[in-house]
Amino acid sequence: MKHLSIKPSILPVICRFIPALFAISLAHAVPEKVTFNEDIRPILSDKCFACHGFDKNAREAELRLDTAEGAASVIKPGDPDKSELFQHITAHDPDEIMPPPETIKKLTDADRNLIRKWIEQGAEYESHWAYLKPVRHSSDKNAIDHFITKELKEQDLRASPPAKKWRLVRRLYQDLIGLPPTTQEMEEGLKMEHAQLVDHLLASPHYGEKMAIPWLDLVRYADSVGYHGDQLVTVSPYRDYVINSFNANKSFEEFTREQIAGDLLPNPTEEQLIASGYNRLNMTSEEGGAQAKEYLAKYAGDRVRTTSSVWLGSTLGCAECHDHKFDPYLTKDFYTMAAFFADLEEKGVYSARARPPQIVLYTDEEKARIAELDKAIPESKARIPKDAPKEHPERAVLKELEDEKKKVHGAALSMVISKAVKPRTVRVLARGNWMDDSGEIVLPAIPEFLGKINLPEGKERLTRLDLANWITSPENPLTARTFANRLWKQFYGSGISGNLDDLGNQGDWPMHPELLDWLALEFVESGWDIKKLVRTMVNSETYKQSSHPRSELREVDPYNQFFARQARFRLDAELVRDSALSISDLLVRDVGGRSVRPYQPEKYYQHLNFPRRNYQASKGNDQYRRGVYTHWQRTFLHPMMKSFDAPSREECAADRPSSNTPLQALVLLNDPTFLEAARVFSERILAEGGEDFQSRLTWAFQETVSRKPNENESSEMKILYEKQRARFEKDPAAAAEYLKNGDSPVSAKDPIESATWMSLSRVLFNLHEMIARY
Amino acid sequence: MDYQRFLLDQTRRHFLKRNTKGIGTLALASLLNQNSLGSEGARNALPIHIPAKCKRVIWLYMAGGPSHLESFDYKPKLAEMNGKPMPKSITEGQQIAQLQSQANQLKCFGPQHNFSRHGKSGQMISDVFPKIGEIADDICVVKSLNTEQINHDPAHTFMNTGSIIPGRPSMGSWLTYGLGSETENLPGFVVLTSAGGGQGQPIAARQWNNGFLPGRFQGVEFQSSGDPVHYISRPKGLSDAGQEDVIRASQRMNALGDEALDDPEIATKINQYEMAFRMQTSVPELVDFSDEPKHILDMYGTEGADGSFAANCLMARRMAERGVRFIQCYHRGWDHHGGLKKGMEQTAKFVDQGSAALVKDLKQRGMLEDTMVIWAGEFGRTPMAQGSGRDHHIKGFSGWLAGGGIKPGISYGETDDFGYHAVKDIVHVHDLHATILHQLGIDHKKLTYRFQGRDFRLTDVHGKLVKGII
Repeated sequence: MKHLSIKPSILPVICRFIPALFAISLAHAVPEKVTFNEDIRPILSDKCFACHGFDKNAREAELRLDTAEGAASVIKPGDPDKSELFQHITAHDPDEIMPPPETIKKLTDADRNLIRKWIEQGAEYESHWAYLKPVRHSSDKNAIDHFITKELKEQDLRASPPAKKWRLVRRLYQDLIGLPPTTQEMEEGLKMEHAQLVDHLLASPHYGEKMAIPWLDLVRYADSVGYHGDQLVTVSPYRDYVINSFNANKSFEEFTREQIAGDLLPNPTEEQLIASGYNRLNMTSEEGGAQAKEYLAKYAGDRVRTTSSVWLGSTLGCAECHDHKFDPYLTKDFYTMAAFFADLEEKGVYSARARPPQIVLYTDEEKARIAELDKAIPESKARIPKDAPKEHPERAVLKELEDEKKKVHGAALSMVISKAVKPRTVRVLARGNWMDDSGEIVLPAIPEFLGKINLPEGKERLTRLDLANWITSPENPLTARTFANRLWKQFYGSGISGNLDDLGNQGDWPMHPELLDWLALEFVESGWDIKKLVRTMVNSETYKQSSHPRSELREVDPYNQFFARQARFRLDAELVRDSALSISDLLVRDVGGRSVRPYQPEKYYQHLNFPRRNYQASKGNDQYRRGVYTHWQRTFLHPMMKSFDAPSREECAADRPSSNTPLQALVLLNDPTFLEAARVFSERILAEGGEDFQSRLTWAFQETVSRKPNENESSEMKILYEKQRARFEKDPAAAAEYLKNGDSPVSAKDPIESATWMSLSRVLFNLHEMIARY
Repeated sequence: MDYQRFLLDQTRRHFLKRNTKGIGTLALASLLNQNSLGSEGARNALPIHIPAKCKRVIWLYMAGGPSHLESFDYKPKLAEMNGKPMPKSITEGQQIAQLQSQANQLKCFGPQHNFSRHGKSGQMISDVFPKIGEIADDICVVKSLNTEQINHDPAHTFMNTGSIIPGRPSMGSWLTYGLGSETENLPGFVVLTSAGGGQGQPIAARQWNNGFLPGRFQGVEFQSSGDPVHYISRPKGLSDAGQEDVIRASQRMNALGDEALDDPEIATKINQYEMAFRMQTSVPELVDFSDEPKHILDMYGTEGADGSFAANCLMARRMAERGVRFIQCYHRGWDHHGGLKKGMEQTAKFVDQGSAALVKDLKQRGMLEDTMVIWAGEFGRTPMAQGSGRDHHIKGFSGWLAGGGIKPGISYGETDDFGYHAVKDIVHVHDLHATILHQLGIDHKKLTYRFQGRDFRLTDVHGKLVKGII
């Protein structure tokens, strides 16, 4: 039993399921050649670094194993038995054995065997992969297939055959624009070459909407402030900036610079100022009794956590109170990063629902109207003679014009932006304690081990612009890898390095480090061209594989880490909504604009206060917008979104979990959005699907899941059809009532037939196949 | 990532990384495949670490911060000091919330209500809680609670998740993740809310969020009007039988689709529809109190499920009987910055009878042995006056626990003569968490979940068992 590398505490559970486990020999687990980064670093990081690592205050016996020198002091290459490290990890004396028995960390025999072999083979130490500059291992034009095939060969696995063409068309629609293809789009897609369809979809304005979703999770974009009363704050132009930037294929370099330092660019444009709203997307408070200094410290920490996670794939937030336990980040690094943002004009505690500094953004109509009024007002004034009596009719006209001008200004959208002022003093806070003013004062700097930005001549301190420039500079090994890894997840279901938050020591060892490096280099050398990187990823043969899990893959590679097949996953919350609206043809396909409010259960905001909230669902077109435009109330996210795992966006989120719960079933079954979509879709089935049951069902299947029903499915649906039809025939009033779900007008000529097909449509909308990507 | 994935991760590093050809590895991977175990995991529990004394928790969550000085912490010396300056030695260097502007002229504010001895244990309890006085011998009053956050929002987050950074799982999520559920008809973690008696400070859904744990561990809020659970009601115009047709057809159509797709998520989904279907029956049955005899309704002081705190206490007992693991009854109304004397009376009226009835009712049903009831808010209130009220206070405050193996009829911990600093047997929020988990059979150091490369737990790197109360 002790041969297993499984925590003893979970053994009983495993035993229940798999008695055969105990027959497994360890012989298979030790590779021919043990390499430090792949085999040894994960063990040391998890079991040893906490006491013998980066955190100098927690370091025991002056020993560190996170550096080659430190490790060398306790290792005799080639001779494990004479190596102090090995003696300690194999000792029996409780005073000698490492890790010490009082910690819960335990080495397994497998760990010890790996370490023994590694020392026998010369104990070669390597720096952590993510902190080394990427190296190009292939000169292929699309090296994805090269690397994937190479690894598959080593594993004695073969790739899956390509998916059927219709499946690929649907997959590309879902992956690139987040909407299912209509029957007509499917027909056109089937006629196009794969790469041609990719280009077609990349040119769609809906591509930006799809790409924006994970980015908005990362930067924690929301329509409310998050703390306490969770008041509203306007940032929707920032959301549109993100969508438009992806659509315009703005280089990631510029995209980065505009968000972190748009306001510091020479003569910033309105767009660049909107982008700089990024720095103000953190949660803020106006709670009575909150202390400004404490909240400024919270906001600073939030920015460091977010910026380091978004661009560096690093958990620098762990260094707020102590040196990072697993990665070479020092506490000081946390505060020097925070110092970059110390120039932002902001308050610790706000009031009166305002979040200055803000800019007012006028729509074209508003601008035009103001221009007209600016002309009309002096004209009106001129028409009032001197000494005209109070009741002169022109005075009323003037008043009306002036009132309207005020109203137009007042109605214009005002959004938070970044504005640089004299930087606040930033100190290292001992144990993160904001009340402690004794810490060292620090200036902006990047984490020490990643290098140093030289101070431009004539400048006293680095700025956010310097930070942005460094983030996308060739000296920084992290940004391109982080982005490429997350983009890969969008098209392959999981990252090349599985942990999208953390490329550090505790992150997953990438199964294909060379591939990740190649993608990162391609990305940088293309001038940070995002669409090009997307193309590279979705035009590969690896992408085109079937997602069907062959039984041998299910056993060998349950997480699909070798990518011997495509991934299959449920769509993001927003896209679940979009799919239903799109299929029913209720979807209003406008791009951008203020956030909108889908139907929501009554009193859902009853716990909000200051002010009390009364949710009014949007009327007309605004009710049928894509999910990306849904009003994002941080403390009470729309229940549909929450059920389908959308994050609250209180904190930076690099990855969404994918759960499968009864609450989701209730949403798809009973949420008025989905009822209305099914009802309106039933009208389309009757109008466009032909005359008889079978042709209607076939048409409905094509529209929802892009394929025809098989015989069993047809007969199952026929049974439901008969049953539902009989119910509504008995009770036509109920049918009429059923069709009243949702705001849109009811146009059913034959309410009983419509109600019946509404139930059939609901079944289709409850198919996993409809809301999953295969 | 779910629990199966968690299991697999423990082994993956060594078995699957490079050497996938060995037969042992194949067998292991196959047997540990998350899919082969199914991922709904309603009953999957981590192994119990220590013998469990308790199966479920009902937390009567007093949101807003009830004054310990008018409830459970009797301070005659503070009464003598009424109106006199608060000694600097006590307040120097301490955080202050709304009294920031009066930091140099802080004055003592004597207790506004009388205390009396109750029960054989003789516990001193404020006269505004006569009914809780009746259960004095069943409860363990902790007078030395300590928290780290002085404003409502982060203090709630800290009390519920052990962290001030939003996005960590709440205690109920940790418990259902660790212990699984005992019911297939209801969620394992349920939240009920009520308000009244004082300023209604906002609360956020963050307080019952699953954080980085899988979504099925999130707390489900029951509403007192409209649908008890969001989207639980069938659509208008469709009968129960008509709705059942649609659900059953959805299940069968998913199963038919799966013949070609071969996707384990579909089997899971079919099971979720089963639970959704059962919830459509079990939830209305749960919230219908017509099977409760009159003397029980009278004991709680409610006539039906009307969303009052009293009704929520009875609802909590009904949920506990049906196997819900963690139930939180929030009552918003304790933020008495001004008008504290009257305010305490009013808010206490809303919660006193229901709180006491719950403990008595559980006891008479033999359920108090394995059900822990907790009565506490996010912080207490200052011994200093804020006009006619008290400000937020974090260095010492009170709460009580009953049942689930907690020692009955005792007081634990003390504050100083002013009721400012907890000075004896301090119970920090992390310690409270560790102790609750312990009673449920969980070593708080061992209930972990890997996120962002680190093993997170409810108690972070802190928490010690409060042995004196178990």
